[in-house]
Amino acid sequence: MIINPIYINGIGSISIQKPLSEDGIFNPVSYDTPRVSCIEPNYRDFFTPAVSRRISKIIKRSIITAKHAISESGIEMPDAIITGTGLGCIEDTEKFLDSMIRNEEKFLKPSFFIQSTHNSISSQIAINLDCKSYNNTYIHRGVSFENALVDAALLFKQKKIDSALVTGSDQMTPNYFTLLKRIGYWADTVNDTLQFVRNTKTKGSFSGEGSISFMLSSQQNKNSYALIKAMDLFYKPTVPIEQKIEQFIQAQGLNIEDIDIYLTGMSGDAQNDKVYTDIGKNLFLSEKTAFYKNICGEFYTSAAYGLNVAASSLKKGIFPAHCLQDGKERKNTTHILFHNHFKNKDHSLILLNKCSN
Amino acid sequence: MSEQSESVFITGMGIISAIGIGVDETLISLRESKSGIGKINHIDTIHDLPSAEVSLTDNQMMEILNIEAGQIVTRTSLMAKIAVKEAITQAKLTLDGKFRVALINGTTVGGMEKSELYYFDFLENDKYNEYIEAHDCGSCTESIADYFGGISYVSTPSTACSSAANAFILGQNLINEGVVDIAIVGGSECLTKFHLNGFKTLMILDDKVCRPFDETRAGINLGEAAAFCVLEAKKTIDKRAVKPLAKLSGYGNACDAYHQTASSPEGNGAFIAMDMALKTSNLQPTDIDYINAHGTGTPNNDESEGRAVVRVFGDNPPHISSTKPLTGHTTSAAGCVEAVISILSLNNNFIPGNLNFSQQIKTLPFKPTEINIETEVNHVLSNSFGFGGNNTSLVFSKIESAT
Amino acid sequence: MEKLIIELKTEIIKVLNLEDITIEDIGNDDPLFGDGLGLDSIDALELIVLMEKDYGIKLKDANQGRDIFKSILTMAEYISKNRTI
Repeated sequence: MIINPIYINGIGSISIQKPLSEDGIFNPVSYDTPRVSCIEPNYRDFFTPAVSRRISKIIKRSIITAKHAISESGIEMPDAIITGTGLGCIEDTEKFLDSMIRNEEKFLKPSFFIQSTHNSISSQIAINLDCKSYNNTYIHRGVSFENALVDAALLFKQKKIDSALVTGSDQMTPNYFTLLKRIGYWADTVNDTLQFVRNTKTKGSFSGEGSISFMLSSQQNKNSYALIKAMDLFYKPTVPIEQKIEQFIQAQGLNIEDIDIYLTGMSGDAQNDKVYTDIGKNLFLSEKTAFYKNICGEFYTSAAYGLNVAASSLKKGIFPAHCLQDGKERKNTTHILFHNHFKNKDHSLILLNKCSN
Repeated sequence: MSEQSESVFITGMGIISAIGIGVDETLISLRESKSGIGKINHIDTIHDLPSAEVSLTDNQMMEILNIEAGQIVTRTSLMAKIAVKEAITQAKLTLDGKFRVALINGTTVGGMEKSELYYFDFLENDKYNEYIEAHDCGSCTESIADYFGGISYVSTPSTACSSAANAFILGQNLINEGVVDIAIVGGSECLTKFHLNGFKTLMILDDKVCRPFDETRAGINLGEAAAFCVLEAKKTIDKRAVKPLAKLSGYGNACDAYHQTASSPEGNGAFIAMDMALKTSNLQPTDIDYINAHGTGTPNNDESEGRAVVRVFGDNPPHISSTKPLTGHTTSAAGCVEAVISILSLNNNFIPGNLNFSQQIKTLPFKPTEINIETEVNHVLSNSFGFGGNNTSLVFSKIESAT
Repeated sequence: MEKLIIELKTEIIKVLNLEDITIEDIGNDDPLFGDGLGLDSIDALELIVLMEKDYGIKLKDANQGRDIFKSILTMAEYISKNRTI
């Protein structure tokens, strides 16, 4: 799809790494378990008890990352608030569902229901900012975040907005972890999450969670992280994905050789990762293959963390060694091709450029 | 946010709700003011609340769709497939890859009707594992896409009761930016115990028939439905030599940013959404012949929406009615159910009346259009408002006046 | 009555997640909504559930809560008169 240049001018991230910091990208912590939860900020620093008591964790995280991204960008109020989330407010959904079944539809707490709808993340951010502009939510499995990003890109292209707050947010509860484990999402044992993706070709990955917000703008500023040059999203492509990637790159006046990093959604799951390794071989991108899920874990909107890694590394001028297949740090990267797929059915491509300042 | 964009057209519609299977039955019910609200049959609940269910069972729908017994299906996806099938048939659309086609399905409950039956099994054993992934809403959308094939873009917007209306916005933008040629947009939601109980805890379900815009209104009757429209630009319509049914003239999307469930007393979000929809349509308030209101029948919504209507249209607004006393409140699907009703109003030149009305709301200067009225209809504004203040307004226009 | 009042205060703090409030902070006559404890319409719904669950009192209309939930004292008085469990 043809888009106008979009600048990433602010990022806020809460994940299984240090909150609201780039430390997680350049000096990440490793874990030895297949279910890793977020490192939480001190919520009392951000919310009064009166406000705090009725917003669930995923919403708190998203409000904090949204505000962080906005303040980094220097923009006061976004022209659009768009969120992607695979499972939405699953914690409250489960609480309501559990007590509905257990108590046979009696004595149910309204607060759990109110917070169970997926759109309560975007709308709570809006309420918190008192932002009455365009507001939307996308809930499409492993490409929920990219769906939100496309929505923003279309509005930018039509000049309907000059800025957008786009967030990817998912939470993993113990129960949902159990459910997804039954259908093969998670590896049985994980010894070193940081090395998991590079070394493991097993069934399943390790589970993470996170809320990552981006303040996007049509204008570059001195804090800009990177530039989103192009993006595409497609379902069950009828031509080989390699061909789609070549067309995507060429449409930007570039060749495959110009790509410095092929950032992938590799997760350590053999079936998932084979899609990327095949492309790496066929398009001569193997040496440039990189990943990020070793830092953030697998969750439906982990692509938001991938975008964070790409943008932050372009700003810093260093792509960290622990995210590269060959384990060698790269400097002076200009073009990152970010490719994510979900079950080899949904594919997203994002081309990021270093900003020219 | 009020920049105008190139218009897209509706070339096919499909609907399944308590007032009919298909557009023809729906039109008859509208003409005869035949409500679909009755007793709950398809879900096992302790609550005896008037609701508007689709008459068909899952098995009957599977038969209609030639889906073999034993396949993994959810009621939400079955209803959606029936509505999409009708919409693409009317649009003479064969999904053979000649055109790039998107499917945009607004939903919120997804596969919840199965999750609420099997949740403890999910946690304790492997008996219903195949339904675990059917829980998430994206899988519902993909199951619809896979049933038909030939879909190159899928998306699942979810803004509670305005989800399907927002599907139109994404569809128009994807077409205008050349990402796809055609977009099948709408939404589907079956009645679940989960949201029935959820609305019940908020004490906004009426145990009698709902009475939108009435002084005595006391809440919602829930309904279930799926509705989809085929959207395309003029050049695709010419290429395919099909006939447009109506034009999507414009849209507005705004957030009330007031409360998790309640609307602001002045209807701020609703006002901005309607105002923007008119501006993007390049229309004046006086151009609108009919407002298909969100009109849920809760004390809060109808007063707030009413005030916003007055702010946009003045004390004597055009014909306005809520069609929820007919269809029930079909939550995520409502935006497209009411789009179909709006287009039927345009093409048949009639205003569907607001059933169950007797007393004007004391704090509002207008009353809704009570009974069906035959009159020329050229432009209809349709409102869909969701929890959290996700407010969307769409304007549909008749083809003669549109071109 | 005093026992019921303490029981109510404890339960309200728990059900409404009033982390920073203790039973000593809630005066028997303090308004629960608005300027007092600062509760809102969703809290009222939660209190309605509490009355049904713990005392077997069913309210049909959320507006009825307005008078009952004026203060802990009015709530306790209503409960002691109408409780079924």
